[in-house]
Order: sequence, then structure tokens, then C-alpha cells
Amino acid sequence: MKSRRIMAPPRIITPSAGKISFPAVMRLGNGLPVYLLGGGTVDLIRIEFVLNAGQIMEETHMAASVANAMLTEGTVSHDAITLNDLIDSTGAVFNHTAEKDTASLVVITLSRKLEEVMELAGEVLLHPSFPENELRMLKEKKIQAFLTGRQKTSVIGREQFYMALCGKDNPYGRITRLEDFDALTAAVTRDFHSRFYRPENMYITVSGREPESALPVLSKFFSGSSQWHKAEIPQLAFETSPPGRIFAEVKGSVQSAVRMGWKGITRDHNDYHGLQVANMILGGYFGSRLMRNIREEKGYTYGIHSVTGAFHGIGFIVIMTEVANEYREETLKEIRKEIAELRRNPVSTDELQTVRNHFMGEIARMFDGPFSSAEAVRGLIDYDTDHDYYSRLISTIETITPDRIMELFNTYFNPDEAVEVIAGTK
Amino acid sequence: MIEFNSHTLSNGLRVIAHHDASTPMVTTDLLYDVGSRDEDPEATGFAHLFEHLMFGGTDDVPAFDTPVMIAGGENNAFTNNDITNYFITLPANNLETALWLEADRMEGLDLSESRLRIQKSVVTEEYRQRYLNQPYGDLMLLLRPLAFRRHPYMWPAIGKDISHIEKADSRRVKEFYHRHYNPSNAILCVAGNVHPDQVFSMAEKWFGDIAPGRRIIRNLPQEPPQTERREVTARRKVPAAHLIMAFHTEKRESRAFYVLDLLTDILSGCDSGRFPEILIRKKELFSEADIYLSGEIDPGLVIFSGRLRNGADISKAEEAVRDELDKISTRQVTVAELDKARNRYEASRLMSYVSAGNKAFNLAFQELLGDANGINTEIERYMSVTAAEITECSAATFRPGNCSVIHYLPESHEE
Repeated sequence: MKSRRIMAPPRIITPSAGKISFPAVMRLGNGLPVYLLGGGTVDLIRIEFVLNAGQIMEETHMAASVANAMLTEGTVSHDAITLNDLIDSTGAVFNHTAEKDTASLVVITLSRKLEEVMELAGEVLLHPSFPENELRMLKEKKIQAFLTGRQKTSVIGREQFYMALCGKDNPYGRITRLEDFDALTAAVTRDFHSRFYRPENMYITVSGREPESALPVLSKFFSGSSQWHKAEIPQLAFETSPPGRIFAEVKGSVQSAVRMGWKGITRDHNDYHGLQVANMILGGYFGSRLMRNIREEKGYTYGIHSVTGAFHGIGFIVIMTEVANEYREETLKEIRKEIAELRRNPVSTDELQTVRNHFMGEIARMFDGPFSSAEAVRGLIDYDTDHDYYSRLISTIETITPDRIMELFNTYFNPDEAVEVIAGTK
Repeated sequence: MIEFNSHTLSNGLRVIAHHDASTPMVTTDLLYDVGSRDEDPEATGFAHLFEHLMFGGTDDVPAFDTPVMIAGGENNAFTNNDITNYFITLPANNLETALWLEADRMEGLDLSESRLRIQKSVVTEEYRQRYLNQPYGDLMLLLRPLAFRRHPYMWPAIGKDISHIEKADSRRVKEFYHRHYNPSNAILCVAGNVHPDQVFSMAEKWFGDIAPGRRIIRNLPQEPPQTERREVTARRKVPAAHLIMAFHTEKRESRAFYVLDLLTDILSGCDSGRFPEILIRKKELFSEADIYLSGEIDPGLVIFSGRLRNGADISKAEEAVRDELDKISTRQVTVAELDKARNRYEASRLMSYVSAGNKAFNLAFQELLGDANGINTEIERYMSVTAAEITECSAATFRPGNCSVIHYLPESHEE
């Protein structure tokens, strides 16, 4: 058998993310922005409506998610069963979710059915009826999911970390309790909807072939009566817990969720891009220091990741994994060791080049095709990030040095400031 | 219409190329015709464990992931009961790197003891994370041995038991590699921004001189028809009961597969399906109610899976499912229901063509089933399904004697 070695390996061409440009923006009569992302090979069109109607806007805990979930549970013109039948008969998919900072409805439809589908989208977004019976059933379902979550170490670990980071009364840190469901009445939900689900408080992305052809249809259903004016993001108070260990018992679990993290920086900070590169080296890809050590050398876990992220007003860095109960102390020790190493010694140029190339490939994949691009630009629009975010990120990836990365580790990765969460058996 | 070209190398490797100029990327999909159905009943989980070992490196490439990352790519793999599938997506101008890596590990994998020891531990943690440490996570571990008594579909791809993973030794690992990982048992599909001629010449360059190996001809024990209802009750620390009802069906390449695929969409594919409408909204018995095909190549299952509402009685819930299955087996679905399912199929089919990676896998899988062009002809098989066929196929499938039932109850619950 001939060895592969006889042939020289192919020369690798340094990947480039290409030129990432911010999409064209058009405005409906009321000023509502519509971002257009053209391209693709299939006759489908994807329309996403994004509203400033996330958890941070709510006065009653979970009002945002319940208002969003109720969108397809009946409208002023159709009861739930008829409405869903109308939607499904077109073949379109309606996905609606409420997250921490925004809420959205994504519609993917056959291009030829755009008009009838947009009429339904308008009805769902602007004229839901919040019937009592459907609300009762939805709440029961959410309670069941909540109780199931009490058995999941990953869920408990996550909520304990965000509570430690943001505070128990902060919308990012609040932990749901069973009695919170009592306050979720039709009146609360309706009120939340009427304040935030308005054409003046949303933007739209259209992606697919000839996205501009959707504009007249969107004008017909979303021009509204008032001028476009996004709802103000409230000023949030943060109460971060002091460093230390938080243990949350999950009886009978065979693994523990481990979360180690601390406060970081927000997207507008000059170091945000460099921090993404540093984080990738530590735990942001399959070849990361943490993955190589804790999965590929020790076999303690199926996966370990580190993440840098930011909400409105706060950034964070968090390392997360699920490990067998008997490995959790050893895992925390190894995480500290890897961070200490990156604070002490610059990464090799080989390792940095690998991370650079991998990151470029990742950006290229994020913008591969109109649908993916629409998802990628959403992050920029939601946080009013500079339109040249990606070009600056790309230039940081290309030029950052090993010394600069070590400096970033010394500035932003200090395990002595960490909150360590363990959710598992005693 | 997905256009493609295909070519078989002299060593038996089947190569398919699909040109998509709309993307700067390319995906290589390398499908090995080996899954957990090919395992020894005493050494299950082996195909999946082996998938992990395929990332261990070779003499020429000590760490498989590194060159992929340097080339700007991402890669992964999955194992199911029928196949093991590896894919790499990377900028099109680095396609050759992906082919070099796949060829290299098809032939020269480093199967060291230490590598094996670590991956046994990683897979054990995967087993715990996905199946044991999740509420309801072991449902499929319970179902397979109940529904299958002879066919190796009786164990899931992760394996029957963690102890099988722990026992895996390097002699068996090597045997498995030489037996299954060779050109005769593989299909390579490349989809993305590259011309088919280039794909074929690069495939020849990197795979052309690998020894062919022997094509595996399977002779698996066939599952005898089920004639009596089977039932197990499990008690777990969960907040709500769960009901599984599974029925044997025909193989992937049968008319029944397409008929039942459309039927299950009519029943539970969307919010206006019969199950959400009747079982969830009207009768308020379930909070989730889904029915789907398990989708294996040999005769598999059609599985009802429903989470009960608090306080709902599991026998009543089962009866209600039974009523719906009887209805569908005796009365034809409406024209509107069939039209809806067809529209939804059309849209979801187009959705699956958005990414070149998906097209690459689908072409390779259709080739394994017999002809890559199945990707284009499948639509006709779906669109030609009639209401009468649905009734007939339902009656044949949803017989009470063909049913395996799991009552999965909260620990405190008294039946």
C-alpha cells in the first residue's frame, strides 16, 4: 500500500472572509427599516420581523415570552385552529421566539405565496386576541417545561451563573419560580403586546432571490399609522455577586454542570474584537486549549466551551461544561491552569495562524447565502453595532499579535474574580 | 432539479459532484456504509466509538482537525443505525485539503491504545450527557429492545450499555477498521463551488491507489412480524408522564415510507395537524404529541411520542391516540389535508437545498439507497401519494398487535 506521504499535502490557501458589506436598507412609508439580502438558488423567501420586545422590556416576569408564544393562538379574525390551518396550508413556516433583548417572528415561504403569507404574518404580529383558554393551556405547558428544567443540570447551572453575574432582580439574572406563572394573565400579556408589537417598534430583514420584490407587500401590511420609533431600552441595574463557589443541588444527576465566569466588556469596547480571538484560543473551537486538554487528553467530558458575549449594559466571559461528578474539581483546576498558562506565555505563531484561519472560515460561513447572512446581520442591528463591525473584526484577526493576546488574557481573564457554579449531586 | 455527475474509481469508490456557484464554500461528504446494525450484539456502540477514533490522526497528520482549521473549515460526523457520515465544509479553493485528509484517514488511521482509552471515556460522558442526565433521555434506550427482538436495530447507535464501550479492545477496533473503512464501502460527494471534472481528478489523485477492500454484503437477522402488543412501564424522576407507541413498518425504499411520511405530517407535522388539534387542544390530554418515522434503511418504526398533561390518565391518553389511528385507518384524509402536506413538503424540500452541505449528504445517501438521482425523483414519489393509499397503509401499520408501548411515569405516580 502506497503511503500518502509520497505525495506532498496540498498547499493550503489562507482563507479570506471576503468583503462583508452591511445590507441595503429601505424604508416603508412610516420609516420602518427593511434590510435586503439578495441571492440564493431556491424560490423561497425568508422574512424576519424583529421587535424590541424581549425580556428586558417586561414588568411582569415572562410576559415577553408568553406574549410571543400567544401570537399564533388566535387573532381578532381567526381562532387558533383556523389560523394555524391557514398558515400551514400555504406550506410556510412561522417561527417565533422571545429572547433576552428582542423578540422575533421568522417566516419562510414559497416565493409565489408571499402575499397571502404576509397578510397572515401581519395578523399574527399586530392583531392577536389572547384567548383565555389557549393562554391557560400555554401556561400549563410552560409550567411542565419549567419543572422538567429543574432536573437538568445544564439549565440550573446557566441560571445560577446569570443570577450571579447580573443580580436576582435584573431581567438577565432573574430565576423563574413556580409562583411567577400566577401573574401571567391575559391582561398582562395583552398590555405587553400593545406596547411593543407595533410597526414603529420593529425592523424587517428580507432574504432570498429578488428581496426588493417584497417591499410593496410589506408596505401593504406594515406601514402602520405612526412614525417609526423604537422603544427605549431601559437602564438596568446590575448586582454582580462576589467571586466564589455556588453549589446547586440536582438530586440523582450522573453529571454536574460546571460554569466558571466573570464580567467582561460590551460590543462597543475597543477590545471586544481582540477578546473574541483570545476566547477562541482558550475554548472557542474544537482545537482550543480547553477542548484539547479536558476532552482530548483527559476524557473528562463530551465538550467544553468558553464564550464571550454581551447584553445591553454588561458583557461576560463564561466557560461551560458537563462532567462526571467525580471529575468536577479536577476540571476546574485544569481550567485555571490553562488560563494561567495563557496569561504567562504568548501563543505560538502556528497556533495563532490556525485560529486566524479558522475564524476567517467561520465568518465566511456565517455570510454564506442570504438566509445565513440575514441571521448574522441581526446581531449588528440589535445592538446598534457599527456597520463596519465585521471589517474591523477581520482586521483585528489579521493583525493581532501573540503579545497583545497575552495582554488581553491578563486584563480580562482572571479566575480569582470568577464565580464558579456547580449544579449536580452533593 | 439538482444536477450532478458521478463516477466510480477503479477501486470501487463512488464519487458524486454537484456544482453550486452561489457559494464560496464546498462540502465533502464521505459516507461509510456501516452503522450500529453491523455490530456484534456483545459489542454495541462500536461504530459510533469508531467515529470518534477517526479524528485521532495518522502518521502523516497527527491531529485531524488542525489542517481543517488552517484551511478555514469546519468538520464533524455522525453515526446512526445504518451509516457513519463525515463532512467537511471549507472555502472551495481548499477542497484538495479535505480530500487529502479523508483519503489519509481512510487508509492510515493511528489506532493507539491511549487514543482508544481517552475516546472510550469521552463516549461514556456523551452517553451520560445525552441519555442518562436528561429527563426522558432514555426513552429510545427502552424502546429499541422492546420493538426489535432479532434485528440489530434492537440497540441504539450509542450502544446497549456503557459496559460495551468500556470493554472495547484494540484488536476489535483494528478489525472493524479494515473491514468497513475502504473504497468499496464508501461514497464521496462533493457539493459547492467546484467543477465536477476537478472533483473527479482530485478524487483519483488522493483516493485512487487505496486498496479496494471487500464490499460488505449483509445478512442480518430479519425481524419477524409482531403479532401481539408489547408494553413496559418505567418510573423516573420526571414531572409528567410520557407515552410511546411504536409500530413496525417497511424498509426505506418502499412505497409505505413515502405514504407514512406524508401521513405523519398530516397527523402532527404542524400546529394544525390532527394530533395538536384533537389530542392537545380539544381533548387536553397531551402537551406535546408527535408521530414520526424512525427512517432506517431496513424495516423501521413509526413512533408516536407524547408528553401527557398534568393529571391526564395514561390509559385514556393511549385510547385517544388509538381512536385517531383507527380513524386514519378507516376514513380517507381530506383533499385539504393532502394539499397542505404537499405544500409543506415542497417548501421543506427547497429548504433542504439551501445549503450545499445538505445537498452533499442527500446525494450520498440517495446513492447508498441505489441511485443519487433519487434526490430529484423523490418528489414524484411524495406527490403521487393518494388518500386511498394512506388509508390502506395506515390499516396495515397501526394494528394493535403491531404496537410496542412505553408508559413512562413520574416516580410518585400510581397507575
